[in-house]
Amino acid sequence: MINGNLKASYAADERILDNPYRRGFVFGAAALAAALPFVANDYIILVAAQMGIMLIAVIGLNVVIGYTGLLSLGHAAFIAIGAYAVPLLHRLFAAWGLPEGVMPLLAIPLAVAVAALVGLVVGLPSLRVKGLYLAVATLSANFIVIFLIELDAMAPFTGGFNGINTPEANILGWRLDSQREMFALIAGLGFATILLVQNLFRTRVGRAFIAIRERDYSAEVLGISLLRYKLLSFAVSAACCGLAGALFAYFYARILPEQFELALSLQLVAALIVGGMGRTMGPVFGVVIIVMVPELLKYSFGAIAGGSADVAALRAPVQEIVFGALIILFLMFEPLGIAQIVDRWLRSLNRWPFARG
Amino acid sequence: MTMNRRSFLKRSAAASAVIGAPSLLKAQPAEYVFGASLPLTGPFATAGQLVAPAFAMAQRLINEEGGIGGVPIRFLTEDSGYVPQNALANYQRALATEGEALVAYFGDSTGFMKLVAPELRGDQARLMGSTSFASELANPETNPYQFLAGPSYEDQFDILLQNIANEGGSSVAFIYSNTEFGRDPIAHGKARAEELGLKVVLEESTKAQGADIPTHVTKLAQSGAEYCLLQGYVTGVWPQLIGGARQFGLPTKFMGTFWGMEKIIADRVTAEAGPFLEGYQGVMPYRYFYDREGAPRYETFAEMSKEMFAGTPLETYMPTWTIQTMCAIEIVVRALRDTAEKDLPLTADNAAESLAAIRDWDMGGYFGGPISLEGNKIGTGRVYTYGAESGLFTPSSDWFTV
Amino acid sequence: MGQFIQFALNGLLAGTIYSLIAVGIVSVYKATRVVNFAHGYLIMFGAYFYYTFAVLLPGLEWAPGWLAKWEPSWLLAARAEAEMFSPRATVLDWLSNLPRIVLGILGSILACAVLGRVIERALMRPMIGQSAFAMIMITVGLVSVLSGAKGLIWTADAAFVPHIAPNAPIRFELFGSMVFLFGADLVNAAIAVILFSGIVLWVRYSRGGVAIRATAEDQQTAYSMGISVPAVFGHAWVLAATTGAIAGAILATRNGVSPSLGLFGFSVLAIVLMGGLDSYVGVFIAALAVGVLEAMAQWQLGGEWAEVVPYIAVLVVILIRPHGLLGQKEVERI
Repeated sequence: MINGNLKASYAADERILDNPYRRGFVFGAAALAAALPFVANDYIILVAAQMGIMLIAVIGLNVVIGYTGLLSLGHAAFIAIGAYAVPLLHRLFAAWGLPEGVMPLLAIPLAVAVAALVGLVVGLPSLRVKGLYLAVATLSANFIVIFLIELDAMAPFTGGFNGINTPEANILGWRLDSQREMFALIAGLGFATILLVQNLFRTRVGRAFIAIRERDYSAEVLGISLLRYKLLSFAVSAACCGLAGALFAYFYARILPEQFELALSLQLVAALIVGGMGRTMGPVFGVVIIVMVPELLKYSFGAIAGGSADVAALRAPVQEIVFGALIILFLMFEPLGIAQIVDRWLRSLNRWPFARG
Repeated sequence: MTMNRRSFLKRSAAASAVIGAPSLLKAQPAEYVFGASLPLTGPFATAGQLVAPAFAMAQRLINEEGGIGGVPIRFLTEDSGYVPQNALANYQRALATEGEALVAYFGDSTGFMKLVAPELRGDQARLMGSTSFASELANPETNPYQFLAGPSYEDQFDILLQNIANEGGSSVAFIYSNTEFGRDPIAHGKARAEELGLKVVLEESTKAQGADIPTHVTKLAQSGAEYCLLQGYVTGVWPQLIGGARQFGLPTKFMGTFWGMEKIIADRVTAEAGPFLEGYQGVMPYRYFYDREGAPRYETFAEMSKEMFAGTPLETYMPTWTIQTMCAIEIVVRALRDTAEKDLPLTADNAAESLAAIRDWDMGGYFGGPISLEGNKIGTGRVYTYGAESGLFTPSSDWFTV
Repeated sequence: MGQFIQFALNGLLAGTIYSLIAVGIVSVYKATRVVNFAHGYLIMFGAYFYYTFAVLLPGLEWAPGWLAKWEPSWLLAARAEAEMFSPRATVLDWLSNLPRIVLGILGSILACAVLGRVIERALMRPMIGQSAFAMIMITVGLVSVLSGAKGLIWTADAAFVPHIAPNAPIRFELFGSMVFLFGADLVNAAIAVILFSGIVLWVRYSRGGVAIRATAEDQQTAYSMGISVPAVFGHAWVLAATTGAIAGAILATRNGVSPSLGLFGFSVLAIVLMGGLDSYVGVFIAALAVGVLEAMAQWQLGGEWAEVVPYIAVLVVILIRPHGLLGQKEVERI
């Protein structure tokens, strides 16, 4: 029986994995992810890799919405920018004559940097407008970015409507030409992103974000520069989405502009709401739910329908309804998301049999 | 020699297979699976729902004929909602769950076919037909596994423009949906029109559905085009555009490509809004189902439809969209049977080779004559005109070969 | 010049429809401080209800024949004389469609009002007092629910629904080039403007309108002055849903019935923010301006440009004027 988490030093207080459950969960998840490429079938790998990519993006979104309190409905645009940066950079590198093995090592950081830069630009309205206006400004940015990618004048670079073939990742001679190998890369970078972002909130910068979320004018009075930190928050979150985009480009052999439309932005926000905003584990839980629910529906409809087109046609609408209902129900009954449910559950486990909840 | 994990896994898998199975002979699957993604929901749901019955019929027909080398086939149909990403996920799921039993796949959109093309490598490749006639897909060099069961959209535009030039037309407008499907033949069509001495007076892109009809019609009226080519629509927008133009009394002659040429839609429009599609023309690679003379295959379908779809509109009429899918299935089955006869495994490479070798094949009614799959497409078609009174599309040109 | 006028007119006519959609978003915002992201999907439902009551229902077997096509002998006789597609024939066709048009509009208004009411009761009222963020995100979730529900209820798509007014062509020459207009568009625009101004006047002068404005000002005070705030919420949602039903019916006749009507909501949201969330006049100006800009983009640059016009316009406007053209600046206290 555990009565509390005893901390004997400041170092212990500052630790990220500050209780055994967390340690267990994180190491368990890491072990599972490491074992997955060796045991899982192709389809599980595919789903897991999709989850990983989405997770990185939702972690980024969490920085802006969950920690800084700025509502964004356009983060798919940053994923698009990260994704399109990869084939373009590869083309550029090829023109310079760089060896293939180092290209991703340069392309991924550069794609992240480009996305962060665009994040700064899109974040600009956040200085003047808040809340809802910002939501619509970011939503507009999403439409505009997709429009620019599709534009005929950009077609020589982006492939326009037709999309663009993406290169294979080749890291120092290790060609990641299967989804299994890509999953290893995605999982590794996913863990790194969680750790980095979690660490961010133990620093001055992260605390400034939280202060802005709580009350931005009060934060300004305390000497936090709104300009600097709001833009920084946008840049950090766009950078994460850029990384997700770069991995997306390496994972799939071709990308189309329509993959990065508003629907994706809404999916990211939904994952965050369901998982829990402003919590480290929120994105993880949220992404698992948002990716797994359609898969489960697909599976159960497959079992019921057995190939009948009439029943199969009902799946997509049902999936949409479930997706919307998840957002609504969580907001109404558990606004802090699954992270909160898990916490409560762990707490009662901790205190059992003396107290519940 | 680099030994990466993948090749290691493969080798260990092979090793365990050797240990586990006494014979090195590969067991033949109990059935072959034909996977398919269809837009059962989304903007083109009507089309998907009309195509779906083709699979039931094809499954029965092909299995009655002895399947592929004696092995029966089964269809696995999933909904894509016309979202390429969903169709890709469906395909990858089918690959993972069915493995080598999956021998062919049917895509539902130009977007999916382009998205999946670079993924088709090695053991991830399958022979792939689709509802799309996108020009980029008919390229055996880059996309050996994908084919068109008819002429590409560019070819269809060629046929229409040639027909306009033959009729002595001088100006033409292109109205197309702002999608890959809509934009596919536009650049080519412009060049071709120029060659034929036709003036392109308007290039108008619209939304694929819910387009702002009055704006587009006024723009067409301002352009004063004699002919208007419509591309990239299935059930919506194109009839409304024609309706709007007719209400204005515009003399423009409208022409469509394959997806805008379905009798069911034209009849429905006539019933709902009056006979303004009278004289609407378009290019169609196939013979309509009611044109069954000397078409034994169509006769077979007619008998099966009567039994399988009794009580539905499909009982007596098979939509062109269903015909297209049936045609694609028959081509795939022929390629697979040819491969099986040569005692080769039904890999995508072998099947694609057999497919590309199909020459002078009489398919029993679909086309004007024997066909060849040159360049992974069938470059033939003719112009039909709709009669609102009869509700029939009747041929108004000879078969063009492009 | 004639062409310019043609497209300016097209834009103004489309703009009035935008304003009719926008009025629903503004009314709900004024009363409840919630921006309804799902308003476009309410409109889509309005369009599908119109389709149901004006096309599907009269087409049923047990429906009386005059509902589907009202053809008294004098009408048939007149119709036989008129030339096809002539203005006279158009008016006569409209007359014989009139019963189902009326049924369609009434049915759509009623069904939408019920839908708006249900949404308000089930989703909005329990959230009174919660953060605006939560309420707004609920409407975002509602987007998915409504769009999925549409897919379950109406599987086939419709090609044609009857125009609300006779769609006779209007043609005249101006500055040496022809200008083309559709008769139904003029009537639609007139309906939109009348409804819009009616609502503005109602909010300004009627008791119910004053209650809405009072609630917008301060919910607590409104409560203590004897205003039933939940009732005000209900009224605002029903108002939004009924105007949405009419806008949906109009859009259905203009653009055809399709799920893509839901996306109109997002571009109109941009228009609303551009005009200033709580200003009817600002939103009206913004709606007309975006309509004209879209038509100009369509004319000079092509259809794909027209689609992003509202989004570019709203970004430009809120960067310069963060609260829209005529919106009220929110005063924040720490």
